[in-house]
Amino acid sequence: MYIELRDINKSFGDFQASRSVSFGIARGTLAALLGPSGSGKTTILRMIAGLETPDSGDIFINARRVNDLAPSVRGIGFVFQNYALFRYMTVFDNIAFGLRVKKEKAAAIRARVEELLELIGLEDFGKRHPAQLSGGQKQRVAFARALAPNPGLLLLDEPFAAIDAKVRRELRVWLRDMIRRLGITSIFVTHDQDEAIEVADEIIVTNKGRVEQLGAPPDLYREPATPFVADFIGESAPVENIAAFRGFEANVQGTPGAVRPEFLKVFAVGDVIQYPNSVEDAVVDDVAFRGAWLELGLVLRGIRLTARYSLEKQPPRIGDFVKVLVYRLYAFEDGKVSLRRNAELNASRHGYSYSI
Amino acid sequence: MSGKGKNAPRGASLWVPRLFIGISALFAAVMLILPLAVVLTEAFSSGLQVFLRAVSDIYARKALFLTLEATAASVFLNTVFGLAAAWVVTRYSFAGKGVLTTLIDIPFAVSPVIAGMIFILTFGRLSWLHPVLEEHGIRIVFATPGIILATVFVTIPFVAREVIPVLEARGTDEEQAAVLMGAGFFTIFRRVTFPHIRWALLYSVILCAARAMGEFGAVSVVSGHLRGKTNTLPLHVEILYSEYQFTAAFAVSSLLVAGAVIILTARNIVEFAARKEDSLNVH
Amino acid sequence: MNKIRGLFIMLTAFALSSGFAFAADEITNVSYDPTREFYEQYNAAFKKHWKGKTGKDIGIVQSHGGSGRQARAVIEGNQADVVTLALAYDISAIEKAGLIKPGWQSEFPKNSAPYTSTIVFLVRKGNPKSLKDWGDLAKEGVGIITPNPKTSGGARWNYLAAWAWADKRYNGDEKKIREFVAKLFGNVLVLDTGARGSTNTFVRNKQGDVLLAWENEAHLAIAESRGEFEIATPSLSILAEPPVAIIDAVVDKRGSREVATEYLNYLYSDEAQRLAGKNYYRPSNAGIAKEFASVFDLSLKLVNIDDPLFGGWEKAQRLHFIDGGVFDQLYAKK
Repeated sequence: MYIELRDINKSFGDFQASRSVSFGIARGTLAALLGPSGSGKTTILRMIAGLETPDSGDIFINARRVNDLAPSVRGIGFVFQNYALFRYMTVFDNIAFGLRVKKEKAAAIRARVEELLELIGLEDFGKRHPAQLSGGQKQRVAFARALAPNPGLLLLDEPFAAIDAKVRRELRVWLRDMIRRLGITSIFVTHDQDEAIEVADEIIVTNKGRVEQLGAPPDLYREPATPFVADFIGESAPVENIAAFRGFEANVQGTPGAVRPEFLKVFAVGDVIQYPNSVEDAVVDDVAFRGAWLELGLVLRGIRLTARYSLEKQPPRIGDFVKVLVYRLYAFEDGKVSLRRNAELNASRHGYSYSI
Repeated sequence: MSGKGKNAPRGASLWVPRLFIGISALFAAVMLILPLAVVLTEAFSSGLQVFLRAVSDIYARKALFLTLEATAASVFLNTVFGLAAAWVVTRYSFAGKGVLTTLIDIPFAVSPVIAGMIFILTFGRLSWLHPVLEEHGIRIVFATPGIILATVFVTIPFVAREVIPVLEARGTDEEQAAVLMGAGFFTIFRRVTFPHIRWALLYSVILCAARAMGEFGAVSVVSGHLRGKTNTLPLHVEILYSEYQFTAAFAVSSLLVAGAVIILTARNIVEFAARKEDSLNVH
Repeated sequence: MNKIRGLFIMLTAFALSSGFAFAADEITNVSYDPTREFYEQYNAAFKKHWKGKTGKDIGIVQSHGGSGRQARAVIEGNQADVVTLALAYDISAIEKAGLIKPGWQSEFPKNSAPYTSTIVFLVRKGNPKSLKDWGDLAKEGVGIITPNPKTSGGARWNYLAAWAWADKRYNGDEKKIREFVAKLFGNVLVLDTGARGSTNTFVRNKQGDVLLAWENEAHLAIAESRGEFEIATPSLSILAEPPVAIIDAVVDKRGSREVATEYLNYLYSDEAQRLAGKNYYRPSNAGIAKEFASVFDLSLKLVNIDDPLFGGWEKAQRLHFIDGGVFDQLYAKK
């Protein structure tokens, strides 16, 4: 593991920002610290950087315990949310700053800065000042500045938060490609799960100071370890009592869970219905266009669910009655998540063999 | 003034801006231009010879030198202190921070005469400090150090009060970034912090110099009025005036006026340059 | 950064060094306001005398201000080798503070007062209102300019002189004396804080018909004014004996006793006495004083503060000038 945190705790006054945080990140991984506001992700990042000191626990970077080391000797580069570029220096001087502090030779500095300017695609911008750059350009300069001293670890604090939506998409892709190309171990903090899923190799989900789960995006999606992750990653509708659904009566009454849109199949009037014995009745109370599909809001016996509907078919309207089949759902028991299948589907031999 | 009513909404009376301009002009004329004009006319009323004699008089020269010395010292010391205080107040949180900022403002609230008396009580013959000073032959009040102290005291708030808001508004992001990259304190101050406060600092230094040059009350109390030794320019003017040497008094005053003009010009240059830089950097 | 640190240290050292008391060849004379011109001339004369006598150069540093304030400053630590103040009262205060040994007033001739002065009237040319004596000043429609006795040492002399005249005029009838003084001060147009201020008000601002002034100030005003004013000497006035003294504590520490003593002694020399006369101070040397008979009315009857009428400065101070004293009672009656 290139980065390792062992049992980290940190409090600010009465507020506990980190509780027993432990995880490891392999060399070359692009990891995301993902979680809602106040979940402790930025605190973790700052502790790795050395901007905060943990109350207890150890932090290892490249097998070295860094708790007592100043940020500048940990071999890290840091990109701030608001860029924190030096307003009164040129782009060139900004990028060169870290190298100048380390007293590198002028020629070496020049070579490296020019190399980085080319890397970030701002070759002719060396003499400009940050005020003359757009948000996206500033972020790229911040990136170059952090990379200039060749750190082993790159830390980014919500790097796209201050950038407008359109540029954000491009910048996201650019950053991911850049980091992959350089092969540098990186951790970035975000509260936007789309961003985390799109960019990161690995996601560390934080909630209330704890690490809920660590894994690759598809793993987190398909096999959430905790109810929080199930809810936070991907879309899901919370369910108070999974035993209320047809085919799930075998479960303990009152067990909570969640239903993802793809766990449902909606049959409108005129559709051929699979497993007619297992479907339930629901009312459509919302129809929303989502670009590539329709999102239906359904109320099934008082339970609100979300389903997807193909644009190829005639869309149902609000108020229409539809038949809904619940293939599977998540059950939350003892803080753990398990996937339950509709019992009736196993028994039934009717229906078409569609791969679900 | 072309386009006097240019910015006024259509239909608004033109008399209001005219009235305000008139009031301002009248005020400026009476309070500012008139006294200056009187000083300069009186200074030369007996001819150039008298004027030159008055300003080149040995006591006038010594007073000028002392004023410059006190001004330079107070500017230097208050710049150092002001920067340090501003840094500490805006970058750290500690118990008593509010007390410090209030303390810094005290010279504004206290009459300079009181300040002078405080120094007499603290360093004068009747203070408990005196035996120690006597033993080492150190003279503070009724000597140049006392004058410098008094001048420093009345100008303490200037630098701190100008720099603190600028530092506060700016935030610490850039400095954190610099710390992360291993920059030492002085590097950070020189390359990251200072460029931000450059103009505010310059402006406050100018204000400080102006105030120091003209200081009378506090200096008068601690001076001892030793001719040729502890008389600053304003004190010397008072002496000339009470000796009925009115022309000479005005002549020496015109030196102070010249100093004021230099300072104001410097301030305008600073403001102009700051505004120019501001418009180039769209933050 | 080291350069800045070095500069800082250098500046501090420089500032402090100018505060070090050097026993260089110079003495400090702390005096009161009106004597500026006199001592400028006297110091030049003394330097020559001292050089001639000892072959050494001596520097003299002057300080001038209100007599009481100057005494206060000396007590607070203003290092004077000698003081030449307006009132014995002020020098006594320095004595009480332990800086002067008792018996200082007998150390030099004539109660340590090398020159004296008195209070006269300064009137407009031709004396249009015919103000010849104190009685005329209390008449209706006369505008008097005088400093405030509460704040100005000199002004107290004005008051006491008026009182002394009234005492003679009304044969000690306290009631009539009080009435007179009250009427007199009722005619005061402006009560400046100091002598120079009053002179200004009368001379420059042209207010009032008569200025109660030190004799030397009156003469100075005439000399500077090209005939606008003249002096009216009353029949009776009070003798002001501005004394001089050596500050024992300072001269012993600085080793300047010899030159300080000679400095004060020389004030009684013929040359110095003539200088005093030229500056409109009455020389205490009667012979020299006669040379200035055209300047000073030598027949003017002078009352002394130590006469039984006043019983000395401290008694007069306590009776008349403290808060709630006679002056407050009379002036407040307005």
